[in-house]
Amino acid sequence: MVERTVTVQSDAGVHARPAMMMVREAMKYPCKVSLIKGDIEADCKSIMSVLGLAIVSGTKLVIRADGEGENEVVGVLAGMIESNFVMESV
Amino acid sequence: MGQKIRISDFLKNTGRVDLRIRLIAGSAGVGREIENVEINRPGLTLAGFYDFFAYDRIQIFGLGEAAYMKQLSDEEKNTAYGKFFSYDVLCCIFTHDEEPDRLFIDYANNKNVPVFVTSRSTTRFVSIFTHLLDEVFSQSVTLHGTLVAVYGIGILILGKSGVGKSETALELIERGHRLVADDMVEVKKIDESLLMGSGSPILRHHMEIRGLGIINVRDIFGIGSVRNRKRVELVALLEEWDSAKEYDRLGMEEQMYSILDLDVPFLTIPVRPGRNIPIIIETAALNQRLKKMGIYSARELDEKIQNWIRSEKELNG
Repeated sequence: MVERTVTVQSDAGVHARPAMMMVREAMKYPCKVSLIKGDIEADCKSIMSVLGLAIVSGTKLVIRADGEGENEVVGVLAGMIESNFVMESV
Repeated sequence: MGQKIRISDFLKNTGRVDLRIRLIAGSAGVGREIENVEINRPGLTLAGFYDFFAYDRIQIFGLGEAAYMKQLSDEEKNTAYGKFFSYDVLCCIFTHDEEPDRLFIDYANNKNVPVFVTSRSTTRFVSIFTHLLDEVFSQSVTLHGTLVAVYGIGILILGKSGVGKSETALELIERGHRLVADDMVEVKKIDESLLMGSGSPILRHHMEIRGLGIINVRDIFGIGSVRNRKRVELVALLEEWDSAKEYDRLGMEEQMYSILDLDVPFLTIPVRPGRNIPIIIETAALNQRLKKMGIYSARELDEKIQNWIRSEKELNG
Protein backbone atom coordinates (compact mmCIF):
# COMPACT_ATOMS: atom_id res chain seq x y z
CA MET A 1 0.00 0.00 0.00
CA VAL A 2 1.26 3.45 -0.93
CA GLU A 3 0.08 6.72 0.56
CA ARG A 4 0.87 10.32 -0.12
CA THR A 5 -0.55 13.49 1.41
CA VAL A 6 -1.11 16.49 -0.82
CA THR A 7 -2.80 19.84 -0.41
CA VAL A 8 -5.12 21.05 -3.14
CA GLN A 9 -4.02 24.52 -4.27
CA SER A 10 -6.27 24.99 -7.26
CA ASP A 11 -8.62 27.95 -6.60
CA ALA A 12 -11.55 26.24 -8.23
CA GLY A 13 -11.20 23.14 -6.03
CA VAL A 14 -12.06 19.74 -7.46
CA HIS A 15 -15.15 20.34 -9.56
CA ALA A 16 -16.51 18.06 -12.28
CA ARG A 17 -13.67 18.31 -14.76
CA PRO A 18 -10.70 17.78 -12.43
CA ALA A 19 -12.67 14.98 -10.77
CA MET A 20 -13.11 13.35 -14.13
CA MET A 21 -9.40 13.70 -14.89
CA MET A 22 -8.50 11.95 -11.66
CA VAL A 23 -11.05 9.18 -12.12
CA ARG A 24 -9.93 8.60 -15.69
CA GLU A 25 -6.33 8.32 -14.52
CA ALA A 26 -7.19 5.99 -11.62
CA MET A 27 -9.20 3.73 -13.94
CA LYS A 28 -6.04 2.97 -15.92
CA TYR A 29 -4.63 0.99 -12.99
CA PRO A 30 -5.97 -2.29 -11.67
CA CYS A 31 -5.27 -1.44 -8.03
CA LYS A 32 -7.70 0.03 -5.54
CA VAL A 33 -7.26 3.80 -5.41
CA SER A 34 -8.85 6.03 -2.81
CA LEU A 35 -8.81 9.65 -1.76
CA ILE A 36 -9.13 10.37 1.91
CA LYS A 37 -10.32 13.65 3.33
CA GLY A 38 -10.52 13.69 7.11
CA ASP A 39 -12.23 10.44 8.01
CA ILE A 40 -14.05 10.05 4.71
CA GLU A 41 -12.59 7.68 2.16
CA ALA A 42 -13.76 7.97 -1.43
CA ASP A 43 -13.20 5.56 -4.29
CA CYS A 44 -11.06 7.43 -6.80
CA LYS A 45 -12.58 5.37 -9.62
CA SER A 46 -16.02 6.86 -9.03
CA ILE A 47 -16.84 10.40 -10.16
CA MET A 48 -19.66 10.76 -7.63
CA SER A 49 -17.40 9.66 -4.79
CA VAL A 50 -14.69 12.14 -5.71
CA LEU A 51 -17.19 14.99 -6.14
CA GLY A 52 -18.84 14.02 -2.87
CA LEU A 53 -15.65 14.77 -0.97
CA ALA A 54 -16.26 18.47 -1.67
CA ILE A 55 -12.58 19.25 -2.15
CA VAL A 56 -11.89 22.97 -2.02
CA SER A 57 -8.67 24.91 -2.25
CA GLY A 58 -6.60 24.17 0.83
CA THR A 59 -8.05 20.71 1.44
CA LYS A 60 -5.52 18.14 2.62
CA LEU A 61 -5.95 14.85 0.83
CA VAL A 62 -4.37 11.47 1.29
CA ILE A 63 -4.01 9.49 -1.92
CA ARG A 64 -3.92 5.80 -1.13
CA ALA A 65 -3.40 2.95 -3.56
CA ASP A 66 -3.21 -0.74 -2.90
CA GLY A 67 -2.27 -3.34 -5.49
CA GLU A 68 -0.72 -3.50 -8.91
CA GLY A 69 0.57 -0.11 -10.10
CA GLU A 70 0.16 1.55 -6.71
CA ASN A 71 3.38 3.57 -6.91
CA GLU A 72 2.69 4.92 -10.38
CA VAL A 73 -0.91 5.88 -9.78
CA VAL A 74 -0.16 7.73 -6.55
CA GLY A 75 2.66 9.60 -8.32
CA VAL A 76 0.49 10.58 -11.26
CA LEU A 77 -2.46 11.71 -9.13
CA ALA A 78 -0.26 13.68 -6.75
CA GLY A 79 1.36 15.32 -9.79
CA MET A 80 -2.06 16.28 -11.15
CA ILE A 81 -3.15 17.86 -7.89
CA GLU A 82 0.14 19.65 -7.34
CA SER A 83 0.13 21.08 -10.84
CA ASN A 84 -3.44 22.35 -10.31
CA PHE A 85 -4.75 20.04 -13.02
CA VAL A 86 -3.21 22.11 -15.79
CA MET A 87 -1.39 19.28 -17.47
CA GLU A 88 -3.16 16.54 -19.28
CA SER A 89 -2.39 13.03 -18.10
CA VAL A 90 1.33 12.34 -17.85
CA MET B 1 -17.61 9.66 18.23
CA GLY B 2 -19.27 11.35 15.28
CA GLN B 3 -18.83 14.88 14.16
CA LYS B 4 -18.81 18.00 16.30
CA ILE B 5 -21.79 20.25 16.18
CA ARG B 6 -22.17 23.94 16.75
CA ILE B 7 -25.00 25.62 18.56
CA SER B 8 -26.07 27.22 15.27
CA ASP B 9 -26.86 23.72 13.97
CA PHE B 10 -29.93 23.65 16.24
CA LEU B 11 -31.55 26.18 13.96
CA LYS B 12 -30.93 24.15 10.86
CA ASN B 13 -33.46 21.38 11.46
CA THR B 14 -31.08 18.60 10.64
CA GLY B 15 -33.25 15.99 12.30
CA ARG B 16 -36.56 14.54 11.27
CA VAL B 17 -38.56 16.69 13.63
CA ASP B 18 -38.68 20.44 13.88
CA LEU B 19 -37.32 21.62 17.22
CA ARG B 20 -39.47 24.76 16.90
CA ILE B 21 -36.86 26.97 18.45
CA ARG B 22 -35.91 30.55 17.76
CA LEU B 23 -32.87 32.52 18.83
CA ILE B 24 -33.63 35.61 20.89
CA ALA B 25 -30.23 36.63 22.30
CA GLY B 26 -26.52 35.96 22.23
CA SER B 27 -26.33 35.42 18.48
CA ALA B 28 -22.58 36.11 18.58
CA GLY B 29 -22.08 32.87 20.49
CA VAL B 30 -23.82 30.45 18.14
CA GLY B 31 -20.56 29.34 16.55
CA ARG B 32 -19.50 27.54 19.72
CA GLU B 33 -18.94 23.83 19.48
CA ILE B 34 -20.87 21.48 21.71
CA GLU B 35 -18.75 18.93 23.46
CA ASN B 36 -21.12 17.87 26.20
CA VAL B 37 -24.41 16.53 24.91
CA GLU B 38 -26.08 16.48 28.28
CA ILE B 39 -28.62 18.92 29.59
CA ASN B 40 -29.05 20.70 32.92
CA ARG B 41 -32.07 22.25 34.66
CA PRO B 42 -30.68 25.38 36.32
CA GLY B 43 -33.45 25.83 38.95
CA LEU B 44 -31.20 25.25 41.96
CA THR B 45 -28.47 27.37 40.47
CA LEU B 46 -30.75 30.37 40.00
CA ALA B 47 -31.84 30.03 43.60
CA GLY B 48 -28.23 30.38 44.68
CA PHE B 49 -26.92 26.83 44.99
CA TYR B 50 -23.85 26.76 42.78
CA ASP B 51 -22.23 23.49 43.85
CA PHE B 52 -22.11 21.05 40.94
CA PHE B 53 -23.31 23.69 38.48
CA ALA B 54 -22.94 21.99 35.08
CA TYR B 55 -22.53 25.27 33.18
CA ASP B 56 -20.99 23.51 30.15
CA ARG B 57 -24.21 21.67 29.45
CA ILE B 58 -27.28 22.91 27.64
CA GLN B 59 -29.41 24.78 30.18
CA ILE B 60 -33.14 24.09 29.95
CA PHE B 61 -35.44 26.63 31.61
CA GLY B 62 -38.91 25.17 32.13
CA LEU B 63 -42.06 26.65 33.62
CA GLY B 64 -40.57 26.38 37.13
CA GLU B 65 -37.45 28.36 36.35
CA ALA B 66 -39.43 30.95 34.39
CA ALA B 67 -41.93 31.40 37.26
CA TYR B 68 -39.09 31.72 39.76
CA MET B 69 -37.41 34.40 37.66
CA LYS B 70 -40.66 36.34 37.30
CA GLN B 71 -41.19 36.75 41.04
CA LEU B 72 -37.66 38.07 41.69
CA SER B 73 -37.23 41.80 42.36
CA ASP B 74 -34.97 43.74 39.97
CA GLU B 75 -32.22 43.75 42.55
CA GLU B 76 -32.47 40.01 43.13
CA LYS B 77 -32.48 39.42 39.38
CA ASN B 78 -29.29 41.40 39.02
CA THR B 79 -27.54 39.30 41.66
CA ALA B 80 -28.90 35.99 40.36
CA TYR B 81 -28.15 36.65 36.68
CA GLY B 82 -24.79 38.23 37.48
CA LYS B 83 -23.69 35.10 39.30
CA PHE B 84 -25.24 32.79 36.70
CA PHE B 85 -23.50 34.47 33.78
CA SER B 86 -20.18 34.69 35.63
CA TYR B 87 -19.83 31.03 34.59
CA ASP B 88 -19.00 30.16 31.01
CA VAL B 89 -22.58 29.07 30.26
CA LEU B 90 -22.94 27.13 26.99
CA CYS B 91 -26.47 28.10 25.98
CA CYS B 92 -29.97 28.52 27.43
CA ILE B 93 -33.27 27.20 26.11
CA PHE B 94 -36.64 28.38 27.46
CA THR B 95 -39.60 26.06 26.90
CA HIS B 96 -43.36 26.79 26.81
CA ASP B 97 -42.69 30.01 24.86
CA GLU B 98 -41.58 31.69 28.08
CA GLU B 99 -39.39 34.61 27.04
CA PRO B 100 -36.95 35.74 29.72
CA ASP B 101 -36.92 39.36 30.94
CA ARG B 102 -34.88 42.18 29.42
CA LEU B 103 -32.14 41.95 32.04
CA PHE B 104 -31.52 38.26 31.33
CA ILE B 105 -31.29 39.00 27.60
CA ASP B 106 -28.85 41.87 28.23
CA TYR B 107 -26.61 39.62 30.30
CA ALA B 108 -26.76 36.91 27.63
CA ASN B 109 -25.92 39.38 24.87
CA ASN B 110 -23.03 40.75 26.90
CA LYS B 111 -21.54 37.33 27.50
CA ASN B 112 -22.47 36.00 24.04
CA VAL B 113 -24.51 33.16 25.46
CA PRO B 114 -27.14 32.05 22.93
CA VAL B 115 -30.69 32.03 24.30
CA PHE B 116 -33.44 30.11 22.53
CA VAL B 117 -37.18 29.90 23.06
CA THR B 118 -39.26 26.91 22.06
CA SER B 119 -43.02 26.54 21.94
CA ARG B 120 -42.76 22.91 23.04
CA SER B 121 -43.24 21.67 26.58
CA THR B 122 -40.13 20.79 28.59
CA THR B 123 -40.57 17.01 28.56
CA ARG B 124 -41.43 16.88 24.87
CA PHE B 125 -38.59 19.22 23.97
CA VAL B 126 -36.01 17.33 26.02
CA SER B 127 -37.02 14.02 24.48
CA ILE B 128 -36.87 15.34 20.92
CA PHE B 129 -33.68 17.22 21.62
CA THR B 130 -31.79 14.30 23.17
CA HIS B 131 -32.90 12.12 20.28
CA LEU B 132 -31.53 14.69 17.83
CA LEU B 133 -28.26 15.07 19.72
CA ASP B 134 -27.82 11.29 19.89
CA GLU B 135 -28.28 11.18 16.16
CA VAL B 136 -25.78 13.92 15.44
CA PHE B 137 -23.22 12.48 17.81
CA SER B 138 -23.75 8.92 16.63
CA GLN B 139 -20.95 6.94 15.03
CA SER B 140 -20.89 7.11 11.28
CA VAL B 141 -19.01 5.63 8.37
CA THR B 142 -18.94 6.48 4.68
CA LEU B 143 -19.24 3.45 2.42
CA HIS B 144 -18.75 3.12 -1.29
CA GLY B 145 -22.03 1.72 -2.48
CA THR B 146 -25.54 2.55 -3.57
CA LEU B 147 -28.51 2.68 -1.24
CA VAL B 148 -31.97 1.97 -2.61
CA ALA B 149 -35.33 1.42 -0.93
CA VAL B 150 -36.97 -1.61 -2.51
CA TYR B 151 -40.47 -2.53 -1.31
CA GLY B 152 -39.70 -0.66 1.89
CA ILE B 153 -36.43 -2.47 2.56
CA GLY B 154 -33.25 -0.38 2.52
CA ILE B 155 -30.69 -2.30 0.46
CA LEU B 156 -27.08 -1.24 0.35
CA ILE B 157 -25.54 -2.44 -2.91
CA LEU B 158 -21.80 -2.88 -2.65
CA GLY B 159 -19.24 -3.92 -5.24
CA LYS B 160 -16.18 -2.82 -7.14
CA SER B 161 -16.45 0.17 -9.42
CA GLY B 162 -17.74 -0.90 -12.80
CA VAL B 163 -19.62 -3.97 -11.58
CA GLY B 164 -22.95 -2.26 -12.26
CA LYS B 165 -24.21 -0.84 -8.96
CA SER B 166 -25.54 2.35 -10.49
CA GLU B 167 -27.06 0.55 -13.48
CA THR B 168 -28.81 -1.86 -11.13
CA ALA B 169 -30.12 1.07 -9.09
CA LEU B 170 -31.28 2.80 -12.26
CA GLU B 171 -33.35 -0.16 -13.31
CA LEU B 172 -34.77 -0.48 -9.80
CA ILE B 173 -35.80 3.19 -9.93
CA GLU B 174 -37.36 2.58 -13.32
CA ARG B 175 -39.35 -0.23 -11.76
CA GLY B 176 -40.76 2.15 -9.16
CA HIS B 177 -38.28 1.84 -6.30
CA ARG B 178 -36.41 4.68 -4.70
CA LEU B 179 -32.86 5.94 -4.72
CA VAL B 180 -31.37 7.19 -1.46
CA ALA B 181 -27.73 7.68 -2.42
CA ASP B 182 -25.42 6.62 -5.18
CA ASP B 183 -21.74 5.79 -4.81
CA MET B 184 -21.22 7.41 -1.43
CA VAL B 185 -23.43 6.40 1.44
CA GLU B 186 -23.11 7.74 4.93
CA VAL B 187 -24.30 5.18 7.47
CA LYS B 188 -25.04 6.26 11.02
CA LYS B 189 -25.57 4.05 14.01
CA ILE B 190 -28.47 5.87 15.59
CA ASP B 191 -29.24 3.19 18.07
CA GLU B 192 -27.84 -0.21 18.98
CA SER B 193 -30.25 -1.74 16.49
CA LEU B 194 -30.63 0.92 13.84
CA LEU B 195 -28.36 1.88 10.96
CA MET B 196 -29.55 4.87 8.97
CA GLY B 197 -28.14 5.56 5.52
CA SER B 198 -28.18 8.82 3.63
CA GLY B 199 -26.30 10.52 0.86
CA SER B 200 -23.99 13.48 0.83
CA PRO B 201 -26.06 16.68 0.66
CA ILE B 202 -24.17 18.02 -2.35
CA LEU B 203 -24.51 14.85 -4.40
CA ARG B 204 -28.08 14.24 -3.37
CA HIS B 205 -29.96 12.12 -5.91
CA HIS B 206 -27.38 12.46 -8.64
CA MET B 207 -25.95 9.40 -10.31
CA GLU B 208 -23.21 8.67 -12.74
CA ILE B 209 -24.16 6.26 -15.48
CA ARG B 210 -21.32 5.30 -17.78
CA GLY B 211 -22.10 6.53 -21.24
CA LEU B 212 -24.58 9.13 -20.03
CA GLY B 213 -22.57 11.00 -17.46
CA ILE B 214 -24.15 12.58 -14.42
CA ILE B 215 -27.93 12.56 -14.19
CA ASN B 216 -30.34 13.98 -11.64
CA VAL B 217 -32.66 11.14 -10.71
CA ARG B 218 -35.21 13.37 -9.03
CA ASP B 219 -35.54 15.60 -12.07
CA ILE B 220 -35.80 12.71 -14.50
CA PHE B 221 -37.99 10.26 -12.59
CA GLY B 222 -39.78 12.59 -10.21
CA ILE B 223 -39.97 13.11 -6.49
CA GLY B 224 -41.49 9.67 -6.00
CA SER B 225 -38.26 8.05 -7.14
CA VAL B 226 -36.07 9.35 -4.33
CA ARG B 227 -35.86 9.59 -0.59
CA ASN B 228 -33.33 11.27 1.66
CA ARG B 229 -32.67 8.54 4.19
CA LYS B 230 -33.47 4.93 4.76
CA ARG B 231 -32.69 2.32 7.33
CA VAL B 232 -30.09 -0.17 6.03
CA GLU B 233 -31.66 -3.61 6.38
CA LEU B 234 -29.86 -5.70 3.77
CA VAL B 235 -26.43 -5.60 2.17
CA ALA B 236 -26.02 -7.03 -1.33
CA LEU B 237 -22.52 -7.43 -2.71
CA LEU B 238 -22.34 -7.61 -6.50
CA GLU B 239 -19.32 -9.40 -7.81
CA GLU B 240 -18.22 -10.84 -11.11
CA TRP B 241 -19.12 -14.49 -11.38
CA ASP B 242 -16.18 -16.53 -10.19
CA SER B 243 -16.58 -20.16 -11.23
CA ALA B 244 -14.10 -21.23 -8.57
CA LYS B 245 -16.23 -19.76 -5.79
CA GLU B 246 -19.09 -21.48 -4.01
CA TYR B 247 -22.24 -19.38 -3.96
CA ASP B 248 -25.05 -19.92 -1.51
CA ARG B 249 -27.47 -22.32 -3.14
CA LEU B 250 -29.82 -22.92 -0.23
CA GLY B 251 -30.09 -19.72 1.77
CA MET B 252 -30.61 -21.75 4.94
CA GLU B 253 -28.20 -19.72 7.03
CA GLU B 254 -28.26 -15.98 7.06
CA GLN B 255 -24.91 -14.39 6.41
CA MET B 256 -24.11 -11.13 8.12
CA TYR B 257 -22.18 -8.01 7.16
CA SER B 258 -20.86 -5.85 9.94
CA ILE B 259 -21.31 -2.09 9.75
CA LEU B 260 -20.19 -0.12 12.81
CA ASP B 261 -20.28 -3.39 14.80
CA LEU B 262 -23.90 -4.05 13.90
CA ASP B 263 -24.77 -7.13 11.87
CA VAL B 264 -26.89 -6.68 8.76
CA PRO B 265 -28.18 -9.60 6.64
CA PHE B 266 -25.81 -10.06 3.73
CA LEU B 267 -26.04 -11.58 0.25
CA THR B 268 -23.40 -12.10 -2.40
CA ILE B 269 -24.91 -11.81 -5.84
CA PRO B 270 -22.74 -13.06 -8.69
CA VAL B 271 -23.08 -10.98 -11.84
CA ARG B 272 -22.80 -12.37 -15.33
CA PRO B 273 -24.50 -11.69 -18.63
CA GLY B 274 -28.04 -12.96 -18.64
CA ARG B 275 -28.64 -12.56 -14.93
CA ASN B 276 -31.15 -9.85 -14.26
CA ILE B 277 -29.71 -8.30 -11.13
CA PRO B 278 -32.52 -5.78 -10.42
CA ILE B 279 -35.09 -8.57 -10.36
CA ILE B 280 -32.86 -10.65 -8.09
CA ILE B 281 -32.54 -7.66 -5.75
CA GLU B 282 -36.31 -7.10 -5.80
CA THR B 283 -36.85 -10.72 -4.89
CA ALA B 284 -34.22 -10.48 -2.16
CA ALA B 285 -36.13 -7.51 -0.70
CA LEU B 286 -39.40 -9.42 -0.68
CA ASN B 287 -37.69 -12.47 0.81
CA GLN B 288 -36.20 -10.22 3.49
CA ARG B 289 -39.69 -9.00 4.34
CA LEU B 290 -40.85 -12.58 4.70
CA LYS B 291 -37.92 -13.31 6.99
CA LYS B 292 -38.83 -10.29 9.11
CA MET B 293 -42.26 -11.86 9.50
CA GLY B 294 -40.62 -15.13 10.54
CA ILE B 295 -41.07 -17.00 7.28
CA TYR B 296 -37.91 -18.68 6.02
CA SER B 297 -38.60 -20.31 2.66
CA ALA B 298 -35.49 -22.48 2.53
CA ARG B 299 -35.99 -23.82 6.06
CA GLU B 300 -39.67 -24.50 5.43
CA LEU B 301 -38.94 -26.46 2.28
CA ASP B 302 -36.32 -28.42 4.15
CA GLU B 303 -38.83 -29.23 6.89
CA LYS B 304 -41.40 -30.38 4.31
CA ILE B 305 -38.83 -32.65 2.71
CA GLN B 306 -37.74 -34.06 6.03
CA ASN B 307 -41.37 -34.76 6.98
CA TRP B 308 -41.92 -36.43 3.65
CA ILE B 309 -38.80 -38.58 4.09
CA ARG B 310 -39.99 -39.58 7.54
CA SER B 311 -43.50 -40.53 6.34
CA GLU B 312 -42.07 -42.48 3.41
CA LYS B 313 -39.90 -44.39 5.82
CA GLU B 314 -42.89 -45.23 8.00
CA LEU B 315 -44.90 -46.40 4.99
CA ASN B 316 -42.14 -48.55 3.64
CA GLY B 317 -40.71 -49.86 6.80
